[in-house]
Amino acid sequence: MHPAVAVFVYASITALATGLGAIPFAFVKQISDRTIAYANAIASGLMLGASFGLVAEGSEFGRLQTIIGANLGVAFILLTQRLLRRYPIEFGSFRGAGSRQMLLIMVVMTVHSISEGVAVGAAFGGGMKLAFVITAAIAVHNIPEGLAISAVLRPRGVSVAACAGWSVFSSLPQPFMAVPAFLFIDAFRPALPYGIGFAAGAMVFMVLVELLPEAYEHGPRHATALIVSLTLVAMMLFQQAL
Amino acid sequence: MILLACSALAAITAPLGVLPLKSPGATPLRWIGWANALAAGFMLGNGVVLAEAGLEYPPLLGAAGALLGIVFVYWTHFVSGTVDLDLNQLQQTEPDYGYKILLVGTLHSASEGIAMGVAMLYSVPLGIAVALTLAIHNVPEGTILGAVLTSKGVSRRHAAGWAAATNSGQVFLAVTTYAVLQAMPAATPIAVGFAVGTLVYLSMSELLPQSYRQAGATGIALVASIAMGIVVLLGGRGL
Repeated sequence: MHPAVAVFVYASITALATGLGAIPFAFVKQISDRTIAYANAIASGLMLGASFGLVAEGSEFGRLQTIIGANLGVAFILLTQRLLRRYPIEFGSFRGAGSRQMLLIMVVMTVHSISEGVAVGAAFGGGMKLAFVITAAIAVHNIPEGLAISAVLRPRGVSVAACAGWSVFSSLPQPFMAVPAFLFIDAFRPALPYGIGFAAGAMVFMVLVELLPEAYEHGPRHATALIVSLTLVAMMLFQQAL
Repeated sequence: MILLACSALAAITAPLGVLPLKSPGATPLRWIGWANALAAGFMLGNGVVLAEAGLEYPPLLGAAGALLGIVFVYWTHFVSGTVDLDLNQLQQTEPDYGYKILLVGTLHSASEGIAMGVAMLYSVPLGIAVALTLAIHNVPEGTILGAVLTSKGVSRRHAAGWAAATNSGQVFLAVTTYAVLQAMPAATPIAVGFAVGTLVYLSMSELLPQSYRQAGATGIALVASIAMGIVVLLGGRGL
């Protein structure tokens, strides 16, 4: 197998793993306002924890570039949000404010996968010896991302199977970005901190502008804060352990 | 020495919050919201920088420390009977309210003091960054406290005194934390985790929920995320 094909196959496996994040929601039967609040809190904690990790990762390539990227990410979400407010949108058969949040999280996580795909390709650039370890690590790392997506989609009425489908969809840029990044690693490396920062900024802003305000509106303040903080710590621990 | 100066600086900004009360009604709630968002962004940014610093230690120790920090703040809220306290009611005049707000102010300046001590141990610029953050964060806190106290007939000068008093504990705790950690370097990873946990939990449980009620979500999110970016850019070992 040509190494580039191998990278594509491995990165596709990691993309599929994202779908596993929908599984916990198969066990949640009732979906009340409070469920939405707590699911939002979980998604917030996961995304903030991931961003904390991304900042550290991006800083290895350049801190200033990472922060510039992060500001671009914030601007991007702000613009997307404005656009989505202006036009009536549909997400599948869903409409209204809920569909805006669904679309927004899909955009955020899909864009996030682009820079992640580059990181995957760069990781394989070190050679194929560690391929299995890298694939396993990134696959496991993708599961909480699927969880974050499902936590937003499922309480708003999307089926568990569709949650899994959308989760996988959000990771599809990974194999497609991994191959060119693997082949032309030197060309991609300078862009990496911007991309990583962009993903971190977009996630943080999405959490602050959409998920948290809604969580506080429907859930008790301290329970929400507790869930966000604990999920954040768990996510960081999880990423460090890998 | 720097630590003492910085933590003292963070404590003395609280009385400044009493100043806008000169002309009643002159502080729109929106401004308090933005100040809270700024403080939350600074706190989260410091959390990022400290968490990054903690990455060189065993992750489990850091996570244990973070857990401890979160539980500690939650517990202090719970024990003081202030879990459901709404901290930003300028018009609230119940007799209990002033007392409770003093208690909350004192308790959470304790967590702030610990965070400051940890940060200073890690690096002087980080310590200064954390202290500055908390200094800014203490201003709106002083405003609320001052508003509540003056509404009860306490003079503005005394209100300013109380505002400083609630925050003076953090000077002591900052210095103590620093001294303890210097004597016991083995505790550093747990302390770093503790600081991250308290910073994140405080912004999630107090600053952000309040600020969303005081100003629009977009403004709050912008202020907080940009503040976060500034701290992350300035923080760390590069300086």
